[in-house]
Amino acid sequence: MKKTVALALASTMLIASFVGCGKSEEKSGTTKAGGENSIFSGELEENVTIQVLENDTAISKGYFSQLIDAFNKEYEKYGITAVDANMDQYLDLANDGPYGYGPDVLYQANDVIMQYAQGKHILPLPVEQLDCYSQVPEAAWDAYKVDVDGQTYTCGVPVNVQCPMMYYRKDLLPEDWKENWDKDGNDTPDMVENWNDMYKFSVARHSEDSNKYGYMKSLYDVYFSSGFLFSYGGYIFGDNNTNPENIGFAAGDSKKGAWVLSQLATAMNEDCIDDTITTNAYSKLADGTYFATLSTPDTYTTFYDELVGNYEEEGLSEEDAKAKADEKLVMTALPKLPESGDLSDENPSFIDSKMMGGVNGYAISSYTKSPNACLAFVDFATKYEMIMLRNETLGISPAREDVAKEVGGLSQEMFANLEKGNIVLMPSIKEVGQIWTPGQTFFTDLAKDAFRAETEKKYKDLDSLQTGLEDMSQQIHDAIFTLE
Amino acid sequence: MIKQNKASKIIDVTLTYACLIAVAFVFFFPCLWIVLASFSKSGSIYSFRGFFPTSYSVGTFKKLFTDTTMYNYPRWFVNTLFVAVGSCLLGTFLTILTAYTMSRFDFKARKPMMKSTMILSMFPSFMGMTAIYILMTQFGMINQIWGLILIYAAGAPMGYLTQKGFFDTIPKAIDEAAKIDGANAAQIFWKINLPLSKPIIVYTALTSFTWPWSDFILPKLLLKEKDLYTVAVGLMSLDETEFARFAAGSVFIAVPIVILYFCLVKNMVNGIAEGAVKG
Amino acid sequence: MTNRFKTLIKNFIESSWRVKLSAVLMGGAQISYGCIGKGLLFFLTEVAAVAYFVNRGISDIEGFFTLGTTKADAWTGTLGDNSVVMLLMGIFAWIVLGIFVAIYVTNLKDALAVEADVKSGKKPKSFLTELKELLDKKFYITVLVLPVIGVCIFNVLPIIFMILISFTNYGGSIVPPELVDWVGIDNFKKILTLSKFAPTFIRILGWNVLWAILSTTLNYFAGLGLALLLNKDCVKGKAFWRAFPVLAYAIPGFITLLAFKFMFSYGGPINEIIRMNGGTAIGFLDLDAKWSARIIGLIVNCWISVPSIMLLATGHLSNRDMSLYEAARIDGATPLQQFKKLTLPFMLFATTPVLLGQFIGNFNNFGIFYFLRGGLYLDGYFLASDTDLLINWLYNLSIDNNYYCIGAAISLIIFAITSVISLVVYVNSPSFKEEDTFQ
Repeated sequence: MKKTVALALASTMLIASFVGCGKSEEKSGTTKAGGENSIFSGELEENVTIQVLENDTAISKGYFSQLIDAFNKEYEKYGITAVDANMDQYLDLANDGPYGYGPDVLYQANDVIMQYAQGKHILPLPVEQLDCYSQVPEAAWDAYKVDVDGQTYTCGVPVNVQCPMMYYRKDLLPEDWKENWDKDGNDTPDMVENWNDMYKFSVARHSEDSNKYGYMKSLYDVYFSSGFLFSYGGYIFGDNNTNPENIGFAAGDSKKGAWVLSQLATAMNEDCIDDTITTNAYSKLADGTYFATLSTPDTYTTFYDELVGNYEEEGLSEEDAKAKADEKLVMTALPKLPESGDLSDENPSFIDSKMMGGVNGYAISSYTKSPNACLAFVDFATKYEMIMLRNETLGISPAREDVAKEVGGLSQEMFANLEKGNIVLMPSIKEVGQIWTPGQTFFTDLAKDAFRAETEKKYKDLDSLQTGLEDMSQQIHDAIFTLE
Repeated sequence: MIKQNKASKIIDVTLTYACLIAVAFVFFFPCLWIVLASFSKSGSIYSFRGFFPTSYSVGTFKKLFTDTTMYNYPRWFVNTLFVAVGSCLLGTFLTILTAYTMSRFDFKARKPMMKSTMILSMFPSFMGMTAIYILMTQFGMINQIWGLILIYAAGAPMGYLTQKGFFDTIPKAIDEAAKIDGANAAQIFWKINLPLSKPIIVYTALTSFTWPWSDFILPKLLLKEKDLYTVAVGLMSLDETEFARFAAGSVFIAVPIVILYFCLVKNMVNGIAEGAVKG
Repeated sequence: MTNRFKTLIKNFIESSWRVKLSAVLMGGAQISYGCIGKGLLFFLTEVAAVAYFVNRGISDIEGFFTLGTTKADAWTGTLGDNSVVMLLMGIFAWIVLGIFVAIYVTNLKDALAVEADVKSGKKPKSFLTELKELLDKKFYITVLVLPVIGVCIFNVLPIIFMILISFTNYGGSIVPPELVDWVGIDNFKKILTLSKFAPTFIRILGWNVLWAILSTTLNYFAGLGLALLLNKDCVKGKAFWRAFPVLAYAIPGFITLLAFKFMFSYGGPINEIIRMNGGTAIGFLDLDAKWSARIIGLIVNCWISVPSIMLLATGHLSNRDMSLYEAARIDGATPLQQFKKLTLPFMLFATTPVLLGQFIGNFNNFGIFYFLRGGLYLDGYFLASDTDLLINWLYNLSIDNNYYCIGAAISLIIFAITSVISLVVYVNSPSFKEEDTFQ
């Protein structure tokens, strides 16, 4: 998750420093009163330029220029041109749009987009007209639905699913993994299938060489750590993430998830306490210090490039290094968790890992002058061919079922996870902004606890973990409601 | 007696230099780390062994200036230079004049003005950012580089108290003499006081150049297009996997200020102490 | 003030029709008495002002009171009112009105003065003479016009805006397109009645004051000391040595802070060196590191601020009257005595405003702990950490949460505290009271 300090400052202090809208000269799409239908008349505006905001990776990998080239060719006859909005990928439409400085079409995460919907900064879309409508699962559409005055509107079009992935290196597996670390004989090492074996392996690897670690990941990062709580019945907000009064981080057996995290921390070093290893995890995996870590699918290329560089230094030619990295660097779904929460359990029964995730997609600004052309662009960009190309260039997990099936493998797995509800989508209400700091504080405390002297430990048993989680929920509640 | 003096002098000199070396080290060490990081071969991310990078290369700098599709550093640099030079010239001019006037003229509103600027400067400035943004949208000055210059220059005189302190220490007797010779106030300022105040002008120029040079809150607020970014905003927009590029960009952002310093340093100490007139 | 106003009214009533013409058509008297240039200027000002008020000024002032009546709805295409813009432009209109009234009064006074001149047989001052005066006796007016206008628009206006915001309900879910309303002193009442705030407020205030005093003293004396050190006669290559602090000065503060955070983090170079030498990593800035984090904050802040103070002090030091030092040396004063009796009073005199500015700047130093140790809510503090300053807490409570009205109210309270302290200090300092001590 790209939640660097820089970003936090930029996005919260400045962009979110206020939300403005209203009596500006830049009028919205149409002056006619009425619902979405009058806006999306189906008549394409001709000779217009639409500004599209894409994410940085799509631009730097060249996918975006391919997309707009293809679109511009197709719509040349109408004189519609799509261009790069050339703005910050994390811009705040609510801040810029009303004054006429925002993009027409934007690609952002569902939680961001849906906050715009509350102020009606983005348009409700006639999604059933779109090519992708039937291919995208209900769960993904739900992320973009909003109730206004008793009616439900859909305000965005899902493109891809984003959630934590496990990265590991096959060449760091023990020589004898097939004999000793593959009890079920399915040719997949046990340690990437369940956390118990990952923990066992991490301990073994570290005790063999004190500079090496098995699984390493900053616990500080709420985006990755909270999945462990969700797996045991925790949740963020009640009523399907819409009721901030009901904060569920301490609900169910979520304390077991916290316990799992604290056990994992004992097999790591102090780096897991703060978030700096997020920056050097790439090189630590490449140089063999770590065996496995968690990250999002879009960082695959960074891990890959780093590993290639390392192999080249070991004396391989560029081609061989690439081939080797292709084979040895594996991105896979999260291992299963023990039902008991005890990682040293010898004969555990396993449950699925849940994780926090998001659906990224397109939305159309309310302040655009050519909504129909924008809709045409969104339709075009979410067609089978473009999503396929997107997957090939960027390695994203598509939200379209046909593409997911075609690509198979991990994308299909993620798609299935989304449908099963194992990916807990980020809430779309603005109160979600208050979960990060209390969450970080708890998780960093939990991580630190593993390195405190025995007498100073705060979290010795499940009860104390439960108290910690309740305190965290209370803090979130305070942050949201004190000034209400 | 003389011998003892000499000995104490040697001790004094040694101690002085020891202090200087220590100071230089303290200030240089973190900078060195950033410089080293910028030369780290691992082009994209942080990869260190202790204090030193695992391997070196100048690749990052090359990339910084040539790979401009996503991050157009040269463009940002030119933008920043424009903003900084513009607000430096305008801001220094206004600040020096304001400070001089407040130091030399006596008029009714003077003391109230001094007190009120004192109070105004105490406001936590980020609370006012909302207002600045709305104001600029109303004036149509979003995405306008000179809009930034306007704000920086307009805000500069608020800090006139420092410069006023300097003018207060220049003897008024000089002015009186010139007045008798028939010079008017404007002439006294241009011909007599200005040459005497080189150190403070240099200081003012340096600060009013540095402030827009390194500020990122205001440009972030007012410049929406990536091509208009200043270096500070651009660096903050870098992806977290661009550590070396961030470091290289940070090293290079310091270069103009260091150059400016070396150009101006001579003027910094040649105040009236070495000038022709003494109080 | 009232007396002067009364005489003005009295003189106006007794004046001729020409002055009364000026009351309606500004500059009328001046033109009829032959001061055409000046008269035209006044007249044009009136035309411009009337044009502005007819065009939007009046509706802006109206908007200032209503803060909007129609809610905007982008989905139906309703163009509603933006309360925040209305508030701001309302303030702007008030300021324009204020300036216009001032010019109007000047116009009347001037008309009376011209008439008095004519009546006593003198020729009224020519336009050219008055322009010349602006370069001499009234040079200050010429000079101050631009800065005052700039400061009014870009400093005073935002501050008034913020103060007024604290009397509205702007924030939370009430942001445009929702309409904002005036709520009187509700926000202040809310703050005073929240008992949760009290213990945290006192703790943070204590640390905040300690921090501001410590860091200001440290920075000031370190900067001054460095300037003196570099000013010594025995130092060769001053420009070279001075370049090191300038290097620190040249790197933008936020980059420095990010770099220091990284250096002191668990995965950073310092801990890596410690580990390579067989030690265990130290959490310089983690959640248990109350005092080490505070001390690192002090040192890092020093690193950032000292160079600029050094540069300033260098400039001032060159302004000293060296003959005094000569005399002191002859009288056998030690360097320490010279510093205490000559250098320090001189520097304090010249830099009191800077010192105050530093104090306020440090008191409200948002960046340092936000960057170094942001994102923690610790036990015993209500939504704050033990290194947070009031300004950081304010940010956590309000801006982060979008409660702008409460944020504005809290910062108004903080502002009241700091401004009273520093105004008292400033008004009683020699650099305000005895401005010509060192003339």
